Amino acid sequence: MSHKLFSRRSLLKSGLGASAAGFSLRQTTPEAIAQDHPVLGTYPAGVNGSTIFIGGVFPLTGPYSASGKDEQLGFQLAIDHLNNGSRITDQIPSLTKGGGILGKKIESQSADSETKPDTAVQAATRFIRNNKAIVLTGGVSSAESIAMQKLGQREHVIFMVGNSGSNDTTGKDCQRYGFRAQPSAYMAAKALAPVLAKELGATRKAAYLVPDYTYGTSVYKSMKEFTEKTGWTTVTEQLAPLGTTDFSSYLLNIANTGADVFVNVAFGADATASTKQAEQFGILSNMKYVVPNISQFQAKELGASIMGGTYGTQSWWWTEQDSYPLARIFVEEFEKRNHYKPDWGASEVYIQLLVWADAVERAGTFYPIEVIKALESGEKVNSIYGEVYYRAEDHQMVRPVPVMVGKKPNKMEGPDDFFQVLNLVPGEQVLPPFPETGCKMPDINA
Amino acid sequence: MVEWDSRRAWRWLPELSMAIALTILPFAFDTWLGSVDLLTRILIWGVFGLGFDLLFGRTGLLSFGQAAFYGTGGFVTAYLLTSGTLNSAWLAMAIGIVIASVFSVFVGFLALRRVGIYFAMITLAFGELSYFLENSPLAKWTGGENGLPGVGAPSIRIGEFDYSFTGSWPSYQLVAGFFFIGFVLARFIVLSPVGVVLTAIRQNQQRTAALGHDVRGYKLAVFVLAAAYAGCGGVLLGIFQSYMPPDAFALETSGQLVIQTVIGGAGTLIGPAVGAAIWLTLRDLLQEVPAIGDLWKFVLGLVFVVSVTFMPNGVVGTIIKLWSRFWPRRGAFASSARADDGANLNETRLAPLTSGLRSTGMTPSPLALEARRISKSYGGIRAVDDVSLALPEGQLHAIIGPNGAGKSTLLRLLAHEEMCDSGHILLHGVDLAGADVTAAFQNGMAKSYQINQLFPQLTVRQNLRIGALGRQRGRLRLDVFQSAERFSETEAIIAALINELSLDECADIVVSTLPYGAKRQLELGLALAGRPSVLLLDEPLAGLSPVERDGVKRLVRSLSKGRTIVLVEHDMDAVFELAACITVLQEGHKLAEGTPEEISGDPKVREAYLGGTVMP
Amino acid sequence: MPTLPQFLSQAFNGIALGSLLALIASGLSIILGTLGVLNFAHGSMFMLGAYTAFVVLGHWDSFAAALAVAALVLLLVGLVTERGLIRFYYRRPAEDQILVTFGLGIMMVEAVRHVFGPLSQRVPLPSWGQGVINFGFFLYPLYRVEVIGIVAALLFAFYLLLYRTRLGLVVRAGIEDPLMVELLGTHVRRVFMVVFSLGAMAAGIAGATYAPLAAVIPNMGEPFLVQCFVVVVIGGLGSFFGAVVGGLIVGEILSLTTLFDPSYAQAAIYAVMTLVLIIRPRGLFGTMGRE
Repeated sequence: MSHKLFSRRSLLKSGLGASAAGFSLRQTTPEAIAQDHPVLGTYPAGVNGSTIFIGGVFPLTGPYSASGKDEQLGFQLAIDHLNNGSRITDQIPSLTKGGGILGKKIESQSADSETKPDTAVQAATRFIRNNKAIVLTGGVSSAESIAMQKLGQREHVIFMVGNSGSNDTTGKDCQRYGFRAQPSAYMAAKALAPVLAKELGATRKAAYLVPDYTYGTSVYKSMKEFTEKTGWTTVTEQLAPLGTTDFSSYLLNIANTGADVFVNVAFGADATASTKQAEQFGILSNMKYVVPNISQFQAKELGASIMGGTYGTQSWWWTEQDSYPLARIFVEEFEKRNHYKPDWGASEVYIQLLVWADAVERAGTFYPIEVIKALESGEKVNSIYGEVYYRAEDHQMVRPVPVMVGKKPNKMEGPDDFFQVLNLVPGEQVLPPFPETGCKMPDINA
Repeated sequence: MVEWDSRRAWRWLPELSMAIALTILPFAFDTWLGSVDLLTRILIWGVFGLGFDLLFGRTGLLSFGQAAFYGTGGFVTAYLLTSGTLNSAWLAMAIGIVIASVFSVFVGFLALRRVGIYFAMITLAFGELSYFLENSPLAKWTGGENGLPGVGAPSIRIGEFDYSFTGSWPSYQLVAGFFFIGFVLARFIVLSPVGVVLTAIRQNQQRTAALGHDVRGYKLAVFVLAAAYAGCGGVLLGIFQSYMPPDAFALETSGQLVIQTVIGGAGTLIGPAVGAAIWLTLRDLLQEVPAIGDLWKFVLGLVFVVSVTFMPNGVVGTIIKLWSRFWPRRGAFASSARADDGANLNETRLAPLTSGLRSTGMTPSPLALEARRISKSYGGIRAVDDVSLALPEGQLHAIIGPNGAGKSTLLRLLAHEEMCDSGHILLHGVDLAGADVTAAFQNGMAKSYQINQLFPQLTVRQNLRIGALGRQRGRLRLDVFQSAERFSETEAIIAALINELSLDECADIVVSTLPYGAKRQLELGLALAGRPSVLLLDEPLAGLSPVERDGVKRLVRSLSKGRTIVLVEHDMDAVFELAACITVLQEGHKLAEGTPEEISGDPKVREAYLGGTVMP
Repeated sequence: MPTLPQFLSQAFNGIALGSLLALIASGLSIILGTLGVLNFAHGSMFMLGAYTAFVVLGHWDSFAAALAVAALVLLLVGLVTERGLIRFYYRRPAEDQILVTFGLGIMMVEAVRHVFGPLSQRVPLPSWGQGVINFGFFLYPLYRVEVIGIVAALLFAFYLLLYRTRLGLVVRAGIEDPLMVELLGTHVRRVFMVVFSLGAMAAGIAGATYAPLAAVIPNMGEPFLVQCFVVVVIGGLGSFFGAVVGGLIVGEILSLTTLFDPSYAQAAIYAVMTLVLIIRPRGLFGTMGRE
């Protein structure tokens, strides 16, 4: 941990930053804060003491509890690294000094959202009002995340979105106080479609199984748009209503269409059930399988014999550690603590907290408006996803989108080696053109 | 569940205590918990629960679908405000509540066709239907699985004064205000005749109907009322959070309401709020205990099961029970009229009321009750076969026969508890075709039952009140702002009945603890409470001791002055003593009819009873 | 407009869906009819059957064994639940019974989540159930066809038990009039215990049978619970035949509506339920006056 302080590079950086540090040190004393920044949200009430509070809201019961637990563990690891230093924070210049953020240790708590947006909002509100949380994170479903993002906007507390794949989160529901790291459905589709065209062919007939709610239809729209651009035809859109556990009716329809690619937009337990059932209907033997947004643990639950040969994307896969050294450390540390390799719930929350902490250190204050400005500045931060930054216009993190294919059992080099990452598509290439996202960002002083 | 009547002196105590509590509690929550929000949430569940408690706690209708109305109210209001259709939040709130109530009329009409478990299942299904509708077909308006964020709050603008209910404390004030108003209204309802009828429905629905109350109408009324409260709760939720969540419609929401009500205490009005306080506090607290963490739901489930098992009256109900044990109410209530005149006064007060029946324009019939060739079959069995009866005014007519002759069925048909397969029944010359037992009572015909049909958890006085209010107020009257005990004429009737039936000493004792003889008296009293002109008595002497029998016989004789009585009895001595005319039934048809002398001498009758050759 | 092959394939699928619902609902219906208890824990019992199958198949590669063990385990669970908890509620109003089974259901789900974790467990298809059958114009998973067979056999066994044995006679009498049965000298309480256990067992076997077809997660029983209520309302309270016919009807509705507008599939079953309530409130085969 501390041995890095004496490396040449860090000395240089600290030297260069000395003046800046001195400057910001002056600014972080409570009196200075009180004079320089007005009351806003939980500032300065939440930062006046010797500790600050960070709240995490994750579904720990209910259908998405597997992802929620994963996020929670990533959350806990991030807090630990920020408080006590780590090999990762050592390599992020603003976070090397450890001991919390701006000299204040972090206290944290996680609350169960029960996979319900209402409970999520309640827990988040409690963290704000009672604990004076200075930042919040969490959410597995887009519904939860969008609801908490809006709450953050209203209460002037920054919300770093855990998981949310819907375009709306940085589209029509974008918020000045919300920041999203996961690639949107648009980005995932744009990254995936060319790979699909190359690997599977340019003139395929695709049948879609789409869960009938806004997240599902959002993914479908983006996939349809980009695959049709490469020459695919969309043969059918089977909308499965909320609460469907038996997809046989829809799979029968799909099997009867003569399509040769089956695209499954379902998420979570629905993805597992529908995939299982599709395999039993023989669809996976007759058609290629594409999952535009692979759920956490999906491969583990279904097994490599089913998921082998499946094309898709997910926000992060642990073999990216081969490309990003910080990711390797992250996987090691997480696995040591929790005895399994982290999935993209954990990685998302982890990276969000570290990027936020970096922004606070750079801003030199917890004052939300300054932190937002720092996050919007476009300055690149080294992270477990490589160098990332937020696009100021819609608060979408610009980060690589991994496109991967499932490994068949005989190709696996270990029990968790489910996917081969084919392409790490740079975020800039797949960002949606800004005005068309529908995002109307509130004024920074709103 | 515990009944809580109230003395006039104490009548306003709950409201006053509530006002004080609502003023003090927020400060306690703010100081110790850091914010008043939890209390606001508890009160939102409290509003939701006030209506549910009236529906379930008071009337006994367990609905698992209240979320349908909670969500409807909330989403209608949220949509109106977020889409910019309406600027006035108050108006949007009102519309939300109204639409939720209208929706409930439709649901109630279908669901209330059944009772008990069926009713619960039907309401559950409608709740799920609403949840599903919100998520897909109506997603354009409801935001689907995301819900509707950005719901604005109402404000009061009078001249220069502009107060908007946004923010922690103002939200509390808004919600507390609604809760208080809702509580006051609920108290009015509970203390009104409507509340009395609802309680009666829960304890003995059949008898309530037989005492002249339109049970279906009242049930629908309380169902709609509960929906209005639910809609109000949903509206407040959306405004408080500035976000209307889709899970307002979920089965879990309806379930949580039920759980909280049971833990807090059903039938106590504040039970749901107390239950919410316990549930929400425990939910937050348990998660913070490291050993429990995400097992919090398991622990809460266990708490719930234990609570249902050992504290069936809930927290508040148990407190009330203990309170009444340590401070039992002494002495009778002062009723507004005292029966101190004796027989004459009683006769006037209890004299039959023949109003309510309009003759069909023909000359009034000399027959009080007439049955023309009525029949009833059950499956293959003809229980009543082509029986005709003609009772002139003031006759005491007995119906006798061996077991299985059809006497009880005949009486049930006369009382309009069941419909005849064929034939007509005329009351004072008017054919009440298709009328039900409630209409029969309202038109002056009442029945006293062979097996006591009382309201076991109420006092004698309260029992009689249900009967007396029936005729007084008609089938259905939603006079919620009246106090049930302030109808002086009704109270006078009750007092007269108590006196007449020698129930003075046990007038304010709960019926379930009374000896059989007193219960039997009360059974008769209930039939009399409606001042009927035609009385049907089904084995009034059953199970009584000889002394008690004499008392009842005397009563029947005195009652027969000015009334027409149909008496079914097995006690032949009594029958021959009292009856002016006797009808003998056998296997559903009329065997013989005539004066006591004619009947006792009739060989066919002897044979039917003794079965076989006539003994000399 | 759907083509005939499409229609037929969905109709067949409806039988598969519906037969499973019929099995679960018949258990619920006899418990409801005999004991008057609306078992809100029924969905959790279904789930327990699935998890039992998962555990058994982890040690022993016989699907038949998994089914048998699931049946036994749930029989035991039903017994313990009835003796340990439900029987104290017979004298209590019906609502209390609903409430206690509701709480019990929650506890079961959370306990399973704690023990097994929230990830979906993998229950493999039996070796004799793999592959598809070619019906000419559509392919259908072999196992689902076998499920129809298994369920039909179980329902038939149930039928024999209810209509051809002395125990069944007492149970059916108990559905009609429990008081009279008791007065006639039968230990009604013992009958209740048997019925509750049998009902739980039906749900458990259904769960074990269904496990290879779906995601085995702690919450898996919830959607089935509400659908079962609809089945019981349509078929009639306490009626075994009603549960079977009702289950098939609901299964068909769910399947056939996907040919037209799947977003109304769930709403359609509630609509039919409402229709039944209007036209024939006691359900297709229900006994009059049994509330």
